Amino acid sequence: QGTQIAFGGLKHDSALPVEITSDQLSVDQNTGKAIFTGNVVIGQGTMRLAAKTVEVIYGSDTSQIARLLASGGVTITNAGEAAEAQNAEYNLESGTVTLTGNVLLTQGNSVMSGERMVIDLNTGTGRMDGRVKTILQSGKDQ
Amino acid sequence: MARFDNTYSKFVAFAKVALPLASLALLATLFLFARGKEIGLSIPYAEVDLETLAREQRIEAPSFATVTRDGAELEISADIVRPDLSTPDVVNSTIVHGALRMPGNGSVTLKADDGVIDGPAQIAELSGHVEIETSTGYTITSDRVATLLDVSKIESPGTVEADGPAGELTAGAMEISQDPDTNAYLLVFKNGVKLIYQP
Repeated sequence: QGTQIAFGGLKHDSALPVEITSDQLSVDQNTGKAIFTGNVVIGQGTMRLAAKTVEVIYGSDTSQIARLLASGGVTITNAGEAAEAQNAEYNLESGTVTLTGNVLLTQGNSVMSGERMVIDLNTGTGRMDGRVKTILQSGKDQ
Repeated sequence: MARFDNTYSKFVAFAKVALPLASLALLATLFLFARGKEIGLSIPYAEVDLETLAREQRIEAPSFATVTRDGAELEISADIVRPDLSTPDVVNSTIVHGALRMPGNGSVTLKADDGVIDGPAQIAELSGHVEIETSTGYTITSDRVATLLDVSKIESPGTVEADGPAGELTAGAMEISQDPDTNAYLLVFKNGVKLIYQP
C-alpha cells in the first residue's frame, strides 16, 4: 500500500542549475557513458543527493541530461527532511526522485520505511509504497 | 658638294646628314638614361637571418607518427622543431598539434603552444594553454599535459577545465588511458570534480 507524505514542502524549482561534485568522473571514450564515483553529491537548490556512484543518462540529444542513476547507498535531503535508500534515480525532466531498496524516511522524530518511494520535487510530496512501516513518536517533542 | 636650285633637294641633302647624326646621338644616350637600379627590387630576397639558420639545426612543419602498443595511432605535428642542445634525442617544438585515434572509434585531438618530445623516455610534454578535444564532445583546457608515446595515455597532472555535453566542469587532474580490464578507453577526471549543468 502507498502513503502520501510531504517531503521538503517548499516549492523546488527543477530548472535550477544542477551541481555535481565527486572524487572522480570517468567517461568511456567509445560510448560516451559518464560515471561519477567517490562520494558524489548532486545539489540543486536546497536538495542534496549524496551517493557513492552516479551514472549520467543523456536525453535524446547529448546536450541534455535525462536521468541520474545514483547507487551504492543514497541519502537525499531537502529542507530538513532526509531519506535514505540503496539507489535512487533522479529524473531531471520530470523533477522526480525514485528511491528503491529499503527506503528509510525520517521526518522530525517519526521514521518511515518501505521498499520504494517516489518524491516529486516540484510539488514537494512523496509517495512511499511496498511494506510501509511507520514509527510515530507520540508525546512531546524531545 | 653639288648645288641644288630647289629647296626640296636642299632639304633632302640636309636630311641625309642630320638624321643619321640624330639617330647616333639617340642611340648613344639610350644607356645613359637607364631606369636606375630598381631592377634589383623585383627579385624577392628571403629576409632570413642566415647566421641563426646555419648555426642551429631545425625542421619546419615536421610530423611524428607512431602506433602505441595497444593499437592506437598517435600523430604529433609542429611548426618548428629544434633539437635540445643539452640532452640528445630530445626536441623542442612550437605550435604543436596532436591526434590520437583509438581502435574503437574514439579520437582525441591536442593543441598546445609548445612541446618537448623526449625520445628515450617516450614522453611528449605539451605546455602553454593546451587544448584537448575528445570525440565524446569534451573540450579540455589545461596548462601542462604529458602524452606517452609507447602506450596511449594522455594525462594532465594539474587542474583542468572541461566543457562537455554534461556542462562545464573543473577537476584536479585528468587522464585519458586504456582501462586494463575492460580495454575501454576512459577519460578520467580525478582529484575532485565539480560539474555545473544548466537544465
